[in-house]
Amino acid sequence: MRNYVAVVFDDRRKAYRGLHALWALDGEAEVTVHGTAVIHRDDLGQIQVDTKETHPALGTAVGVGIGALLGALAGPAGAAIGAVGAATGGVIGAAVDLDRSDTRQQAADETRFVLGFGQSAVIADVSEDWTTPIDTQMRNLGGHVYRRAKSDLQDDARFEDSEFYYPYENYLYPYEYIPPAYM
Amino acid sequence: MSTGTDTKVKDALDHVRAAAQELHGAISDAAAKQGGATKADLEVFAQKAKSVAQSLKSSINTQQGAAKKALTEAASELETSQKQAAEGLKASGQAFQNSIRQAVGGARASVQKVSEALAAARSAAAGQHPAATAAKNPTTTSAKNPK
Repeated sequence: MRNYVAVVFDDRRKAYRGLHALWALDGEAEVTVHGTAVIHRDDLGQIQVDTKETHPALGTAVGVGIGALLGALAGPAGAAIGAVGAATGGVIGAAVDLDRSDTRQQAADETRFVLGFGQSAVIADVSEDWTTPIDTQMRNLGGHVYRRAKSDLQDDARFEDSEFYYPYENYLYPYEYIPPAYM
Repeated sequence: MSTGTDTKVKDALDHVRAAAQELHGAISDAAAKQGGATKADLEVFAQKAKSVAQSLKSSINTQQGAAKKALTEAASELETSQKQAAEGLKASGQAFQNSIRQAVGGARASVQKVSEALAAARSAAAGQHPAATAAKNPTTTSAKNPK
């Protein structure tokens, strides 16, 4: 089954241990990992995604879409958050930027459910025949696993025609990428 | 436990995925560096993309079903990327930057397809082993909605 997985850790260093463990599971053929990213939510609620990009030409894309990914993992209301975050010029602190009061509370609740202030998460696109390998490994590392079937995410992909749409898969490195600071 | 044939298939796919991952890693590193990628980077990408596409093509006939389809798409993605990169070498300014983005995107899409092929092959191989099926099925059912 193809799933999006978010594994929440208390800090970024632990998240990178989780990332390494996830790719190790791929190496053992327990799961197949299609892409991963590590994100962090700071104490003010701002969300950052660790990428290689330092080149300004590519910098504009950073931020747009990651809220959509978080939101998609959180459910339909969360997906709405991501879109609004992107439309406001960045998904940073997407939950806080939401203007639509009808979905704000639900969406905020769902997003907090995925990633709390000061926490980090490994986001992964995986194929897994069973959930035990990832659940067991991540639990041993102190991570909390959330899952959503990729088919469900595609059902939520109603913003693709938006000029602000940025495929969140583009954030997921298709191999183990660890920034030098965390190696 | 894998049979000898399973191991060969796995090794071949792992090898070709590693090559595609390396290709994406190289061009995305080049794109991410201060000053951005150069024409030399794009030229190297075009050459390697052609080589990886050939490896992919030679792996296609060793696969079946979903894996074969995904590998075919991966090869197609890379061939398109290689052609776009070759065109990009003649460009400058924004058009050149667009070529770099296309190369990164094409390499990424290709790795994605190879990973899908690998997942399909692994799943098929696992399904051929009764012990693995018996062990995995009960857990799969109970773990579909982990909370």
